[in-house]
Amino acid sequence: MNRLAAAAKAVLERKIAPGLADNEAAIDEVMGNCADLLKRSFLLGGDRRVPGLLVCLDGMADLGTVEAILKELLPFAEGSLKRFPDDSEVEALPNFYLSSASTHTCETVGEAIAAVISGNAVLLFEGYGSGLIANARGWKERNVEEPSTENNLRGPRDGFSESIRTNTALVRRRIRDPMLRFAAMTVGTRTQTSINIAYIGDLVKEGLVDEVKRRLGRIRIDSVLESGYIEELIEDAPLSPFNTAQSTERPDKVASALLEGRVAIFVDNTPHVLIVPTFFWQFMQAPDDYYNRYWVGTFYRFVRYIAFMISLLLPSIYVMLVSFHQEMIPTSLALTIASGREIIPFPVLLEALIMEFAFELMREAGLRMPKPIGQAVSIVGSLIIGQAAVQAGLVSPFMVIVVAMTGISSFAIPGYTSSLAIRLLRFPLLIASGLFGLLGFATMAFALLLHVLSIHSFGEPYLAPASPYRPSDQRDMLLRVPIWMMDLRPEFAQDRERMEGSQMPKAPKEGQR
Amino acid sequence: MSEADAIVRWGKLLLAAGVLLLGSSCVGVRQINELAIVTAVGLDVGKKPNTVRLSAQIIRPADARGQTGAPSGGTGEPIYSVETEGASIFDAIRNLGRFSSRRVYWAHNFLIVMHEDYARQGIQDMVDFFTRNHELRMNTWVAVTPDSPAELISTITGLEVVPGEAVDSLFRSNHVAGLAPGSNMRNLEESFLSVSTEPILAKLMLRPRGISNKKPEEQGSLEQVELGGAAVFKEGKMLGWLTPMESRALLMFREKLASGIETLPCPGDQDRRLTMEFKDARMDVDPGYSKGDIHYRIRVKMDASIVESGCAKSIASIREEAEALLAAQVKKRIERVVERAQREYRSDFLKLGEVFRNSYPVEWRGMSGHWSEVFSEAETKVEVSVRVNSAVLKAEGTGVR
Repeated sequence: MNRLAAAAKAVLERKIAPGLADNEAAIDEVMGNCADLLKRSFLLGGDRRVPGLLVCLDGMADLGTVEAILKELLPFAEGSLKRFPDDSEVEALPNFYLSSASTHTCETVGEAIAAVISGNAVLLFEGYGSGLIANARGWKERNVEEPSTENNLRGPRDGFSESIRTNTALVRRRIRDPMLRFAAMTVGTRTQTSINIAYIGDLVKEGLVDEVKRRLGRIRIDSVLESGYIEELIEDAPLSPFNTAQSTERPDKVASALLEGRVAIFVDNTPHVLIVPTFFWQFMQAPDDYYNRYWVGTFYRFVRYIAFMISLLLPSIYVMLVSFHQEMIPTSLALTIASGREIIPFPVLLEALIMEFAFELMREAGLRMPKPIGQAVSIVGSLIIGQAAVQAGLVSPFMVIVVAMTGISSFAIPGYTSSLAIRLLRFPLLIASGLFGLLGFATMAFALLLHVLSIHSFGEPYLAPASPYRPSDQRDMLLRVPIWMMDLRPEFAQDRERMEGSQMPKAPKEGQR
Repeated sequence: MSEADAIVRWGKLLLAAGVLLLGSSCVGVRQINELAIVTAVGLDVGKKPNTVRLSAQIIRPADARGQTGAPSGGTGEPIYSVETEGASIFDAIRNLGRFSSRRVYWAHNFLIVMHEDYARQGIQDMVDFFTRNHELRMNTWVAVTPDSPAELISTITGLEVVPGEAVDSLFRSNHVAGLAPGSNMRNLEESFLSVSTEPILAKLMLRPRGISNKKPEEQGSLEQVELGGAAVFKEGKMLGWLTPMESRALLMFREKLASGIETLPCPGDQDRRLTMEFKDARMDVDPGYSKGDIHYRIRVKMDASIVESGCAKSIASIREEAEALLAAQVKKRIERVVERAQREYRSDFLKLGEVFRNSYPVEWRGMSGHWSEVFSEAETKVEVSVRVNSAVLKAEGTGVR
């Protein structure tokens, strides 16, 4: 700790002095001559004309609210304080004169400054050894918009924004249950990021909330700029490529997770909310599954499972078959592949790696580019990769199809963050099968499977309910059974009954209407 | 152990794995375009005594498939046919490597065709070689030809680009004509290893069937591969041929042939023809055993329909006679093939031994050693019943019904 920090720390621990000038000096010493610091001195109404000081941050506090507070205190404004109560404490002030929605007192300089930094207005008075914090928070924030990474056709269109209060409100609007709790924490010594742990008291698994709090409390870090920081610091499997804490931008996803007895972690300044415990299968499930009819939901779930298999395995299987096990390809197909590869100068493995890399390059470039250039790059990219590379004889047409299928399939996985893990894992599989054929492919695939089987998310096995097998949870894993059959919550929830059984609707018989 | 140590340990493990992977240098890799994919093999006796002449049809994928988006240099010929000689099949194949620029690859072989002379010398070597090689598929078709195998495998048909593929489809639809057994490596080996059953292979030959588009007046100037008939084997050596019609009766025994057509003379009018198609033919072979004598009761039931009638009488009036005629015809054919198997070749290619063994396993034990003698002495009785249930005809002899 350097000298400046030590000095500031000493000041922060100081009690608020009766002398107004002392307090002002203390604030100046800690915050320096800060450009956005607003100090407004005034004289409190009444006989004694007590000098007062209002401190707030321009931009963090809503100036309209600050002006309203001042108006109530200044002596000659209309309807303002005419007389200052002689002997009462500052605490009594709000009871009589301040119409601010939330007020409380503070005793130390540190508390006062913390309040100022989070956007409140602090009122200090000459001769009083405590300050008054009035809520004046108000800053510019993004509107609630449609989430950009998780789209759907049917279902709510609102997504989380950067403000934690807006985000918790979006969930609260969906679950009007007094048992819905938000526990507040602050993480980050410098950023002082607010974190809310959301859960439904009578559904959440016993001990889970405490465990989440324990893990969050363990974090010693200066800054938390995004929920990804938190995710990496509380994971069960920190070395795994899979993410064991789901992140989402959709309030309906969070609400449904809470109703299944899970816990959501809201982090201020990011629209991505974490959900724990997380299961692998969640990444294959989209909210649309539940909003559309169950036939459609189940069908598209299958499409996604196939997409998952393709995006993970297709390039490896192709490379393995074409460079090692030609006898496993049906003859006509083998001839077609061979004819396409006739003039390709690279081995299949290298060809696959080049094409996969080219595809990832396009994806990354498309993501980072300023929007107006995007179209130009995608045209050039697709022309080069799809057409010119084949005509130049650098890659075979089959490889283009394989890579394109793989790419499209990986976009079909709803959990975008988890599809990133699959994109990464494709490469070890590809290299292993390119070097050793079926042997390498099988070894790597089994290593992968063993790894996924071994990891947990907040005590829950990652592959549940497939392994360990939980019969009643199967209804919402591969299949999406009708809503009237989903009468139980997942096994880890405390209260398992979701709805009364046998609610399958029936048309009334003729004449009974 | 601290976290940093754990990461270092994992890092070392990964590094070691990486070195292992790179050090392996893709062991066993062979790109598909570095292979000479063989689609048909011909076997013949060599010019010198005790040699094998092997001809292989190697595919040129770029030309066999045409432009698939990629430019491909080529002569335009879809196949590359080569011939080698050697003391044994394996030797001949190794000699292939002297001039083939690519590794010869057998897994996609469609067809193995042997010359009659080669087959008569014995097929043990051939079965041995083509079943031991782990790359080979067991569904490769096997046939015998009286013509030159080298010529046969490089004869281009009008419809398919690759001759091997053409013969493959010919075999696949062999039940349409029903005139040759669908003999592949699997059932060849099965019969070859069986104590009782003898192998039977299809007969392929070159016949001038194609009509040249440029010179249509020279009918049948192009030779085409024709499938029909069968080669009979005993103890690994070819004995002789079965005609296509005998092969049809054979198919009823071996492949449960259920349909076919027969052309018969009209009842009471030898000059006119009646064509009948039989369907749902079911053959039951009942073996019997009494006092050392084996007898078989072969029953065939079939439904038939009259598909072409040149007879002057109405179909209703000739129906029963037609039934009897067809039954007699089929019976004659079955008796003929059984006769040839028992008396002429004394070779049980009809799988009658298996049928007997299934019913009389104890008695079988005593005679398995000299089955071919026992078999040729066995009595057979053929019963055929035909039911004509439809005349799918509008025209009836001289006029429209």
